[in-house]
Amino acid sequence: MTCDEFQRVLPESWGAQSSEEQEHVKSCRSCADLVLDLQAISDTARLLQATDEPSPRVWNSIEIALRREGLIHEARPLRSFVFAWPQRRLAWLMPLTAVLALVFGVLIFERGGRSPGMSSGVETRQSTPGEFTLASAEEEQLLKMVADRAPALRPVFESDLRNVDAYIKDAELSARNNPNDEIAQQSLMNAYEQRAMVYQMALDRSVP
Amino acid sequence: MQPGFRRAASLGTVVILAVTAYAVGDELHRDYRFKVGHRPSVSIVNQYGPISVKPANGHHVIVSAILHSDKVEVFQSQSGNRISISSHLLPGSDAESGRVDYEVLVPADASVTLHSATGPLHAERLHGDVILEGNTGRVDVSDVSEGHVHVRTMDGLVTLTNITDGHVEITSVSGNVALKTVTGPFIQVNSSSGKILYDGDFGSGGQYELTSHTGDIEATAPSYASIDVTARSEQGKVESDFALSPSYTSFAVRAGSAFAGTMGKAASSVKLFSFSGRIHLRKR
Repeated sequence: MTCDEFQRVLPESWGAQSSEEQEHVKSCRSCADLVLDLQAISDTARLLQATDEPSPRVWNSIEIALRREGLIHEARPLRSFVFAWPQRRLAWLMPLTAVLALVFGVLIFERGGRSPGMSSGVETRQSTPGEFTLASAEEEQLLKMVADRAPALRPVFESDLRNVDAYIKDAELSARNNPNDEIAQQSLMNAYEQRAMVYQMALDRSVP
Repeated sequence: MQPGFRRAASLGTVVILAVTAYAVGDELHRDYRFKVGHRPSVSIVNQYGPISVKPANGHHVIVSAILHSDKVEVFQSQSGNRISISSHLLPGSDAESGRVDYEVLVPADASVTLHSATGPLHAERLHGDVILEGNTGRVDVSDVSEGHVHVRTMDGLVTLTNITDGHVEITSVSGNVALKTVTGPFIQVNSSSGKILYDGDFGSGGQYELTSHTGDIEATAPSYASIDVTARSEQGKVESDFALSPSYTSFAVRAGSAFAGTMGKAASSVKLFSFSGRIHLRKR
């Protein structure tokens, strides 16, 4: 699961995350920090609701004053798709939800949820040091470029890209599980070096 | 012989000769000669076809190119001591019609850089740096001393023979790598699925790193080899024919998955690492 995918499903799965999402949180510091921040906001919001809700007498006084001013009328049933709050007790949830959504959006943006150069329809992941990066659309583009120049070489590049991606995947897992193991770290460097080599070979020496 | 048959035979002979002549004429032969000074730099980029580099006396770089069709042309340039040759594919060319065969003679101290998608690439008896990059072609380097050897390939077979006193760095995705009598201060092979075969004594005072993802690693050494060896495979079998004196490692040595120890005076450091390939340190 990529960071983008995780952050996209987070609002929906908040409080009931799947094992895949939990796995991602364990492995991604950036998303883990995001979850912690949101949890803190959520906890604080609950405290606000419990302590700051006015008494019914206050609401009655406000209603009387507003009717006297002609600012409010008898309640009319809502006929639009916008839902109505059936109970005043839940009225604080509306602005709270808005605040949460706003904060969530700001946090996503600040944490670089949108990386430069990302365009819609391109399946890419943000790559952070030590995080496995598989960009199938990007690789497909590379293979297409190879095929345009030298069709016979496309199968070779495709096979070796898969090879290298598997190497990176294994090396990243090993490095993540053994952060103090220099051999695991070196293997990861070797794997990335291989990928860089394949990319460079694919992009090198164009045919006019 | 009847006259009709004689005429047919003559016509047939003419046709055959014409075809041969046409075939020969279809191949274009180009020779280039460059005067150079001490330690020249020679770069050849050839998408399709072999490149062979050998030493010659004197201060000249001589390039002999056979172009297999008129759909490819050779660009050549010289800037001082730097020679650059490249095959330029014209529209409509393919692996056959775009092929150029290069035979190159250089001063022994020349630094050589060769690129070819299909190869093969060959360099021998040089003292300068040798950089070879190929996609699928075979790469052969032999009898190079005091120069650095860099090889990058995707699935071409790499063979290094009698390379001494220089750095050796090889990166191969799926091509096998064979090193025979290769010694030097720094020898590194990075393979993904290709096998790594080393046959030598690991010299003295060198650092050897043979690593792979899934490719097997087999190192064959004599009993007099002087090495400090560490071998580890995450998922593959690891074995040694030698009785090693224990040495320190930063990781736990599990029998069958790793070993570490020294032989002789431990003059050279040898690291054999694989993720799932088998590792075997053989006694010659």
